[in-house]
Amino acid sequence: MGKHIILRILQAIVVLFGLSILIFFIARIIPGDPARLILGPLATNEQIKELTEEMHLDKPFVVQYYYWLTSLLQGDLGKSLYTRRSITTDLKMFVPATLELMFFSFVISLIIGQVMGVFAGYFRDSWFDNLFRVFSYIGIATPAFAIAIFALIIFSYTLNIAPAIGRIGLWLDSPPQITGLFVIDSILTGQWRTAFEAFKHILLPAISLAIANIAQEGRITRSSIIDNLQKDYIIAHKVHGIPTRIIIFKYLLKPSLVPTVSIMGLDFACLLANAFLVETVFMWPGISRYGVTAMLNKDLNAIIAVVLFIGILYSLMNLIVDIVVSYLDPRIRLQRGGI
Amino acid sequence: MKFLKNLNMAVILLAVITTICFSPCFSMATEQNLVVISAMPVILPDPALAMDWYDLQVLYNLYSPLVYPTPEGTIRPHLAESWEPVDGKLDHWRFKLREGVKFHDGSELTSEDVEFSMNRFIEMKQGFSSILGKVTANAIDDYMIDFTLDKPNAIFPETLTLFFPLNKDLVLENIEDGKYGEFGDYGENWLLTHDAGSGPYVMARHEMGESMDAIRFTEYFLGWEDWEANEEPIERLKFIMETETSTLMMMLKNRQLHLEADGGFSRQVFKEIMESETLNLNQAFPQVITVWMNTKLPPTDDVHFRKAILYAYDYEAILGEYEPFGARETGIYPSTLPGYIKIPPQPRKQNLEKAKEELSLSKYNPADVKVVFHYCGGLEFEQEICLQLQADLSKLGINVEIVGPPWAQYEAECGNAETTPNLTIFRFPLNYISADSFIYFMYHPDNVGGIYAAHWYEDEDLGNLIGQTRETFDFEERHELYQQIQEKIAAQVLAFYPYEIPALFTSQSYLIGPKETFPVVGPTINMHNWRINLKTGK
Repeated sequence: MGKHIILRILQAIVVLFGLSILIFFIARIIPGDPARLILGPLATNEQIKELTEEMHLDKPFVVQYYYWLTSLLQGDLGKSLYTRRSITTDLKMFVPATLELMFFSFVISLIIGQVMGVFAGYFRDSWFDNLFRVFSYIGIATPAFAIAIFALIIFSYTLNIAPAIGRIGLWLDSPPQITGLFVIDSILTGQWRTAFEAFKHILLPAISLAIANIAQEGRITRSSIIDNLQKDYIIAHKVHGIPTRIIIFKYLLKPSLVPTVSIMGLDFACLLANAFLVETVFMWPGISRYGVTAMLNKDLNAIIAVVLFIGILYSLMNLIVDIVVSYLDPRIRLQRGGI
Repeated sequence: MKFLKNLNMAVILLAVITTICFSPCFSMATEQNLVVISAMPVILPDPALAMDWYDLQVLYNLYSPLVYPTPEGTIRPHLAESWEPVDGKLDHWRFKLREGVKFHDGSELTSEDVEFSMNRFIEMKQGFSSILGKVTANAIDDYMIDFTLDKPNAIFPETLTLFFPLNKDLVLENIEDGKYGEFGDYGENWLLTHDAGSGPYVMARHEMGESMDAIRFTEYFLGWEDWEANEEPIERLKFIMETETSTLMMMLKNRQLHLEADGGFSRQVFKEIMESETLNLNQAFPQVITVWMNTKLPPTDDVHFRKAILYAYDYEAILGEYEPFGARETGIYPSTLPGYIKIPPQPRKQNLEKAKEELSLSKYNPADVKVVFHYCGGLEFEQEICLQLQADLSKLGINVEIVGPPWAQYEAECGNAETTPNLTIFRFPLNYISADSFIYFMYHPDNVGGIYAAHWYEDEDLGNLIGQTRETFDFEERHELYQQIQEKIAAQVLAFYPYEIPALFTSQSYLIGPKETFPVVGPTINMHNWRINLKTGK
């Protein structure tokens, strides 16, 4: 298994290198003149020319890539043309916000999705199963940003029971940065009110983002549970009078989770894709919102950094999924020579 | 069935948690004397980097300009008490500074700070610095400073409404490595998240892309005069970087947003706001909607073809919809500025007969050509003008292709005559308080191209005449020249101007203001110009 992990890491490095070349060239092909965008509409032609040269934008693509790669190897991702700061500073600020949102979404979808899937599968064709089926169709078919807007209208505007924007109340200061996750940082520093506010603020965006995954993971778990319920060993357990709770949690759940876990890696990445619009609706200062702004403003270095970050996250998630699936399914583990 | 019981328990538990978490959210504006203002996703609060109206709105709160615009369209003393050209030469200006002005750290503003700030502004070559041209600053004594320009400029004092002096010592304490020699990065990185100004508010925190907090500067040199009873100065500002209409409207209705200062709503939303009892719609600086015609690209390279477009457009169709919001007929520059003249077509309405007449004089056959009209994707008010013109020109047999590219692409297209479409549409406000803000940057041959001059028309005589305005000190004489220039530009039909409309800001009714409304971008949203009524806001 160790060999397998090393192989996967090496594969990921090759993929990321290819991705960096691809996105570097795509970012430069997107219509727009970065120098003109930075200097504003009143800039003189002389100013635009000077900045173009300074940013090496007058050089061939390959030379530009060489300059970029050299800086990257020195740990410098460059400067954002839009925020005017180093990309590293921007990432440090925006990545934790997105990770926090994704983490909460992931936990919500994991718990609710699995619970609903298990119950729907075990009590197949019951009222609960039918209700879940309707919910999952709606959840999968409705885009996350539409759910976000509906949630905003219902809970924030009509009922006025949930905050509309941001990570904490507008009148509160951010907690000191330890992990960058507001809920955790405020708990660690004993700022209970801030922690509560941060938790309140993350609920609506996290739930909006999680709905599709709850539906998807729930459906897969349900099918898997139904399949496994037909297996001889489960029937044997039932015949022997083993309590339902033990059948589900001890014998049924683990094998039924394999297909769900496999899909979770993709679902986690899917959260990042959906976050692009959800972050915009809830004014969530995350990497997705930053990425949208970067793309709209042809912020070359920022576009590359965001895409690479997403690439790293995808690779990492796939690696984690591989390891978890191997743990859950001994056949896979044995094929790969054990952990 | 035990599981279903457990499920019920889980549902009840979830409901309890949800109830606790989703307790009612109240507006904290009056409890905290905090005003939340909307802003763009990225704000550049450095006087040398600021380049958009959103940046200026923030700058007017954190910094003080050397001179201040007036609601009447002139300038008045601010950090500078008085100014005059040295020996009557318009390329050499002397300014006397106000004494006793304090920066936010308590130190006093002197001409050394002004000298440093001007040299920084010019050397960094960003933001609005191109408006000032090449300027050298020399401190004469603590409160007297000279500016030497590369060319005579009678409007130089007016352009200084865009010049915000910084605290030299504070900036120098915070410089990092950079490309400006001994000045490193000129404090560029530090000034993104801190301020070094003397304005009415002090930056407390700036999380770029999220929000910026500012607190009231009690020692602001203009003081905090009393208004009516219960009308208190605003203690704390919070600029939030949000532009999504549905979110902003939600926040306005829930009183979580107190001033929407982007003016980016659609007509429908503005109508809704006008009908609201708790929200006020404020009119600020005028903006001229301009449709440039590319004079280098067929068929708009033919003046008669351009005139045909000018007469074919139905001005009344869309203007009527915007009249309740203060829209009106316009011309080369905003109608409220001195020296403005009305330009054809007069009366301002569609004249298809005249359009056909002009088309017959054109070298192009309508059936053989296509007019490409680009607008900034997502801007509804621009798109509706495109559609209106498309319908109007179809009556002349002219085919109009409409495209709405994103801003970055749209701006880049206008950087080159070959890639600039036949027609492009923009909304221009006054950056500084003079017709020069429009005339010089839109029609002088040195500035041709780009979004400010996507007509690509170069005329040396016109350039000389515009140059003459900058050498004319006498106000009346200068405006006579502006009138001649407007006639010359109108004769060439470099654009048509559907209407002008004030920037529209939405505020909660318990926000009192603005006390003064200025015709340029920025000062209307200086929150020293507003108060909060803590009683009615409860």
